[in-house]
Amino acid sequence: MISRLFSREPDTRVFFATDIHGSETCWRKFLNSGKHYEANIMILGGDMTGKALVPIVEEGKGRWHSTLLENRREFENEDEVKEFEDSVKRRGYYPFRTDPDEMSELEADEDLRNELFYKEMLGTIERWMHMADEKFEGTDIECFVSPGNDDQFEVDEIISSAKRVQLAEGKVVEFGDFQMVSTGWSNRTPWDTYREEDEDDLAERLKKMTSQVTTPPEKTIYNFHCPPYGSGLDDAPEIDENMRPKHGGRSIVPVGSTAVRDAIKEGQPALALHGHIHEAKGNTRIGNTLCINPGSSYEQGQLLGAVVNLDGKSKVKRFVLTSG
Amino acid sequence: MANNAAGSDDLFQRKATGLLRGWSVWDGFIYAAFSINLITLGLYAFSFAPFIPTGSLILAVILAGLYLVFQTVTYASLIAVMPRAGGDYVWTSRVLGGGIGFVLAVTGWWFILWHWVPIYADLLNKDVLVPLAALLNLDGTVTFFSGATGLFTASMIVAVVASVYVSLGMRTYARIQKFCFYGGLVGLAVMILILLFSSQSGFESAYNREAQELFGAGGNAYQQTIQAGSVETANAFIPTLLLIPFLAFFNLYSNWGATLYGEVRGASDFRKNIYAMAGALLFTSAAAVVLLLLFAKTFGWDFYYAANNAFWAGEGPVSVFPYPGLLVAMILGNPVLQVIFVAVMSLWFFGWTGSVFLSSTRVVFATAFDRVLPEWVSRTTNNGVPYAALLLMLIPSIPISYMFAFGENFATYVLDAVLVIAITFLGSTVSAAVLPWRKPDIYNASPIARYNVLGIPLITVTSVAFGGFLVFCLLAWLFNDTYGVNVGSSLIYMLILYAIALALYVGFRLLRRAQGMDLNMVYDEIPEE
Repeated sequence: MISRLFSREPDTRVFFATDIHGSETCWRKFLNSGKHYEANIMILGGDMTGKALVPIVEEGKGRWHSTLLENRREFENEDEVKEFEDSVKRRGYYPFRTDPDEMSELEADEDLRNELFYKEMLGTIERWMHMADEKFEGTDIECFVSPGNDDQFEVDEIISSAKRVQLAEGKVVEFGDFQMVSTGWSNRTPWDTYREEDEDDLAERLKKMTSQVTTPPEKTIYNFHCPPYGSGLDDAPEIDENMRPKHGGRSIVPVGSTAVRDAIKEGQPALALHGHIHEAKGNTRIGNTLCINPGSSYEQGQLLGAVVNLDGKSKVKRFVLTSG
Repeated sequence: MANNAAGSDDLFQRKATGLLRGWSVWDGFIYAAFSINLITLGLYAFSFAPFIPTGSLILAVILAGLYLVFQTVTYASLIAVMPRAGGDYVWTSRVLGGGIGFVLAVTGWWFILWHWVPIYADLLNKDVLVPLAALLNLDGTVTFFSGATGLFTASMIVAVVASVYVSLGMRTYARIQKFCFYGGLVGLAVMILILLFSSQSGFESAYNREAQELFGAGGNAYQQTIQAGSVETANAFIPTLLLIPFLAFFNLYSNWGATLYGEVRGASDFRKNIYAMAGALLFTSAAAVVLLLLFAKTFGWDFYYAANNAFWAGEGPVSVFPYPGLLVAMILGNPVLQVIFVAVMSLWFFGWTGSVFLSSTRVVFATAFDRVLPEWVSRTTNNGVPYAALLLMLIPSIPISYMFAFGENFATYVLDAVLVIAITFLGSTVSAAVLPWRKPDIYNASPIARYNVLGIPLITVTSVAFGGFLVFCLLAWLFNDTYGVNVGSSLIYMLILYAIALALYVGFRLLRRAQGMDLNMVYDEIPEE
């Protein structure tokens, strides 16, 4: 046991991050994380797409204005607008240039806003995949991405078209001696997102996936976006019927999935990777399984992640949560 | 899909996990007010005022309350720049370095709170158990809880109650706190009304009657108390400032309240945190001033000071702590009403008790997630009870409480308990001051990046101001005998605690390195390009 504690045998080093929600900074950091942490397996959990569109409104004569974080900004030239656009992207929002007439239309028409969201989200993912292809060209890094419950289904097709990024959703993927199954589906949320379903259906989905794994538990990884119920990795502020945090956010409740918990209990993989609940950063054990939710600080441009050394033993001992 | 319902009007949001509407400032206010806790901490802190009799206690409360708004802005700023970070440990470790963050937080939020268990117990005795026992004419119980065994027993009660709160989880504890806050407010309102509508002569006769009935103090106990503890009071400015380090025992904790910051939120959430924390601070300070004025009117200022002075000197006809809740209960006359009143006022204590372990378990978790402490300390039961972290709080608190109660000199070792917390706050404050330069990307991306005072970031201005307050208090505690905490043995004891924390950090860092996991990875920033 002592010798294992100090063992420095070569491992498979994995870097995992999740919930970057459109943050350009976090994506760029993710692309560099393999080299930075000396990990040749990189896994990005779900929820890649952003949550907000930020209009930059043209006032005429080369002048623009916008509001970010409730601070109104005015711009007098192209450079200022571009700099502002970068700061918007950094937080994971989508900047777009518009004029007062189009703004009025957008405010009045939800379909139009949806169309714009789709265009910006999918366009960004497409651009990101090109960046990844360029970055990983000529390296031995393997990169796996699986969208989350907040990502629309079209994201999968775009990831599939990338050369150096593998879509992991719903599949058994292999690296070294290890197999990993992934899904971005979650149990029901109050937001009625793209990939959520009742616990029974989620349990069925997980069962179908995990039954395809052929490696022993110590060489198996579950990459399930939704954390297991009651694990501490799923602690979120309790909200009322108006979506307001109760008790000033001090009342914390578990919101994870019982189906995910049951799947981990039954399969006992060496490692289970999760996200979904940004404030529930941490790690825990369910049986022998090391469960990790690195959390997310995408708005601050901090890429929270986990570096895990896999040695093929039943218990993963060497890991660290990072805030890069 | 897209909507604006959950956000501000300046952007379009879609429906996505975690996007919430704004939180209630009132809720934040409640928890911040509970952390400062006028009844439990304030009335105790005020009892030391006779040690500097030439200062104005009321003016000191006002000045400290106003000045500590800088603290609320500093912490609201830290929350806005690094939300969901989890407090002092994460802020300090990310800005100043892992070692500094660990040593300050582990000592200030974990080790030192073992020592706060007997301090909480002392407050439980003074504000709840002894007054209730006295009102119920349980003389043996009064004697018991006034002695060493009673203090140890009360310490165990505190440890058990705090453990139960942590075990019940934040959802239940938040509800208990809210219930206690509203109940406590009712008690406070009743207290104010009784003081308002009672005369000094009425109080004097009630005190004399109850001192005789409850404590066997014959004659004019009111006058005897004044004679026993009489001090010459004045309102000089410098002594008023010197009262402020006493008050830090109660008004330094507005930042323990709700510290929420929603996603896709801007300056309004920053302001909300200020409103909640500063609102609680100013409300509590105002309530303290009202109470003190009413004490002067009804108890008589000479009596109030003398009673506290006599108690700490171990003199006077009544040997129990002159808890104002008990003094007001004496006016009521009716034993049933007296007991009900003190019981309702005890909600201020019981709603607050969980704080002795709650924040500590979070720090233990955060350091374990950073792999500085071993993984097992973050283990929970299937119901989410952080049993390992809880045991790390509970078990050491038992022998420490025992030594505090029965040890010859141990109580003097823990005199610096507030000082250690202040040093931890100072670490966060220094982090806040240098944050715009140490973490420019994160700072510039935050909603407070545009707030400057004469070209200097607001967070730096307020943190330097708050840091000045902390340094003033630390110097006073370290070099002025009046506060009774500059005892060599206490300082050495506290230094040993810091040394243990440092040894833990260095030891685990070396262990992780031997395992091939460099803890630098925890804090290193990944290059963007």
